[in-house]
Amino acid sequence: MKQKIKQWHDKNYKRLLLIPIILLLFSFIYLGVFYSSTGDFFKKDISLTGGTSVTLYSSLVPQTLEQDLQLQLEEISTRQIYDIITQEQKAIIIETKTESEITRTVLEEYLGYELNEKNSSFEFTGSTLSQSFYKQLLIALIVAFIFMALVVFIIFRSFVPSAAVIISALADIIMTLTLVNIFGIKLSTAGIVAILMLIGYSVDTDILLTTRVLKREEGDLNSRIFGAFKTGTTMTLTSLVAMALALVIISSFSIILSQIFTIIVIGLFFDLLNTWITNVSILKWYALKKQK
Amino acid sequence: MKIKLTWKIWLLIIVLALSLLSIFGSASFQKGVLITSVEENSTAFEQGLRKGQIITEINSNKISNLEDFTNAFQGKFENNQSEKIIFILDKTEIILYTNKLPQITVSNVPSTNLKLGLDLAGGSRAIVQAQDKQLSASEVRDLVDVVSNRLNVYGIADMNVVPVTDLSGNNFMMIEIAGATPKDLEQLISKQGKFEAKIANETVFIGGDRDVTSVCRNDATCAGIEGCFNAEGGGHYCNFRFSIYLSEDAAKRHAQITENLSVNSTAQGNYLSEKLDLYLDDNLVDSLLISEGLKGMVTTQITISGSGSGQTRDEAITKAEEEMHHLQTVLITGSLPYKLEIIKLDSISPVLGKEFIKSIFLAGFVALLAVGIIIFIRYRKVKSSLALLLTSFSEIIIILGIASLIEWNLDLPSIAGILATIGTGIDQQIIVLDEAKYSMFLSIKQRMKRAFSIILGAYFTAVVAMLPLVWNPITGGAVGAGLLKGFAITTIIGITVGVLITRPAFTDMVRKMEK
Repeated sequence: MKQKIKQWHDKNYKRLLLIPIILLLFSFIYLGVFYSSTGDFFKKDISLTGGTSVTLYSSLVPQTLEQDLQLQLEEISTRQIYDIITQEQKAIIIETKTESEITRTVLEEYLGYELNEKNSSFEFTGSTLSQSFYKQLLIALIVAFIFMALVVFIIFRSFVPSAAVIISALADIIMTLTLVNIFGIKLSTAGIVAILMLIGYSVDTDILLTTRVLKREEGDLNSRIFGAFKTGTTMTLTSLVAMALALVIISSFSIILSQIFTIIVIGLFFDLLNTWITNVSILKWYALKKQK
Repeated sequence: MKIKLTWKIWLLIIVLALSLLSIFGSASFQKGVLITSVEENSTAFEQGLRKGQIITEINSNKISNLEDFTNAFQGKFENNQSEKIIFILDKTEIILYTNKLPQITVSNVPSTNLKLGLDLAGGSRAIVQAQDKQLSASEVRDLVDVVSNRLNVYGIADMNVVPVTDLSGNNFMMIEIAGATPKDLEQLISKQGKFEAKIANETVFIGGDRDVTSVCRNDATCAGIEGCFNAEGGGHYCNFRFSIYLSEDAAKRHAQITENLSVNSTAQGNYLSEKLDLYLDDNLVDSLLISEGLKGMVTTQITISGSGSGQTRDEAITKAEEEMHHLQTVLITGSLPYKLEIIKLDSISPVLGKEFIKSIFLAGFVALLAVGIIIFIRYRKVKSSLALLLTSFSEIIIILGIASLIEWNLDLPSIAGILATIGTGIDQQIIVLDEAKYSMFLSIKQRMKRAFSIILGAYFTAVVAMLPLVWNPITGGAVGAGLLKGFAITTIIGITVGVLITRPAFTDMVRKMEK
């Protein structure tokens, strides 16, 4: 059985690269079209565009409120917060591009009572600040990626294997972004932080693989790859299961954390693909060529 | 069987114990109530009560919780009589003679030293910049001084006002206030509060200590509501009045300007031909008649008045008191040097915080349990699986211990950072477990060394990926105190603790088990 898989992989590993290449091509086209129609690579929520988010401790039905206030509050959207065990609604969250004082007045008029710190939370971000925030987060993301790439080069000191690690990490981020877009998720500051976390998570397994393949002498190439595969998938699967469970529990409560977990779960899925197909194939190609 | 522990495992145990001490510390053994704020200039403040002190006894009644504190004042001051109140603090005794409740706020002594961020504990945060003007660093520092002073005078004690800068060099001021949000926070920090008193459009004096030497507050003999009346169109209005003292210069200016005014005789008495007009931010607040006797006089005492209106009498009184409080604050602190604009304002209610933390704990517990099960299925070793879970768990405790040691406010991003750390931590422990089984012809020591080379690689990539967040002044830096710095800080603390303490201990545990 093992022998058969080895033979199959020896024959087809280059062909396997087609899967990530096709996905990556699709992602580039999708993001390109998205960029040309919206001027950005993803949808941004109010933490990146500016606006007000109100948490209202109330049992009102979110959809009703949304319909009633559609005309008064710009780009209004709502969601509920509920207790995971009792399913009881604890609060509704209202997001709008309208500024906070106007939002407060509109809501107070609609609800018929005064909003204070006992029955509500207000978060307002002006559009200038959120735009500069967005820009700086992107810079942080790019710098982080470059730093990571440098460290990878320093560790392995050889071009192709290092490039393979970096390409896999980049493919992770691009495919994740594409899927996030397809799901229609609006990215917040937390979402961008999640992508930053993803850099760390995805590189972990790539470093493990590359170290085992390049710096170990025992066993043949395939068994070293297979050993790394066993360790690496255990790592990714534990993270994946832990994050997915946390997501289920927390999603009823926190938009911030649930966005972080969603993005990491998506990212870890793509990491499985990119480490064990993209990175493995490039690395195997490189190692076999060197052997000759 | 006697198990000999290696020094690495001992190190973990010691650090763990220190962390627990740092988290729970002395606080949890202390009985009493914690003073969270003291009104400045109040009797309580003058006698030495300060924020952060713990009250253990009032008038020889033991105080161990909020209820005791409230009970201690039951039935006191009913006839407005001054009473003697003896506070016993940690080591000192403070005695107050007062006819009203001491102007302090208290809370139960927290059971841990962990501090929660605004987004979990409740409070407000504002980021402010100048309207149509780029502020220099020193201008922002001046602004911070004026605003802190203003908030202080207004009676907000638990606050933090700091200058912040972003990458492009823009300067902002950030204000953080713990606990309840003052109603007119926006007014206080964004309105200039430019107070001017004019006679015939000539400025006599302006707010601030250059012209106004003192302002009467909290003293019924020279400040208070004068009377309430029915308004013509329905509703009520109340008048307030308080006296202020002018500087010599301002008083002379008053004399010069009034000298040339004529006197009008009216049925109510003889007044000067022009009134004293009071402006706040260029809006007329009130116009006061100036009596004949003040003509050309160098007078240092002036009475300021104004009014507040409302639907009901009570509402009008509250409104008038607020207006008075605001005017007093502005007169003492002077105007802000710039027109300001609030670019971020969060006021977070503390209501959901506790439930939120509960669900985070639940999520963490379930996630760890799931990891434990997967590890057990994969390796079929109870000991290794338990060691792995224990190590991860101690990592959480060490991170929290360091957080309370450096008084880091745990906010949502910090918690996300802790989760990220635990995730990578478990990943690295899996590498250790697998390397231990791998290439059996090597000594276990060599195998562990190899595991560590992979872990170090992963560690450095993770650290450098976090650095831009810490460096970046908006995301990290000072503003980041509330925004994303928490994430980067807890992640870096966590993975560093991992590489230096928990991972070496774990490898030793695995070595013991493999032998």
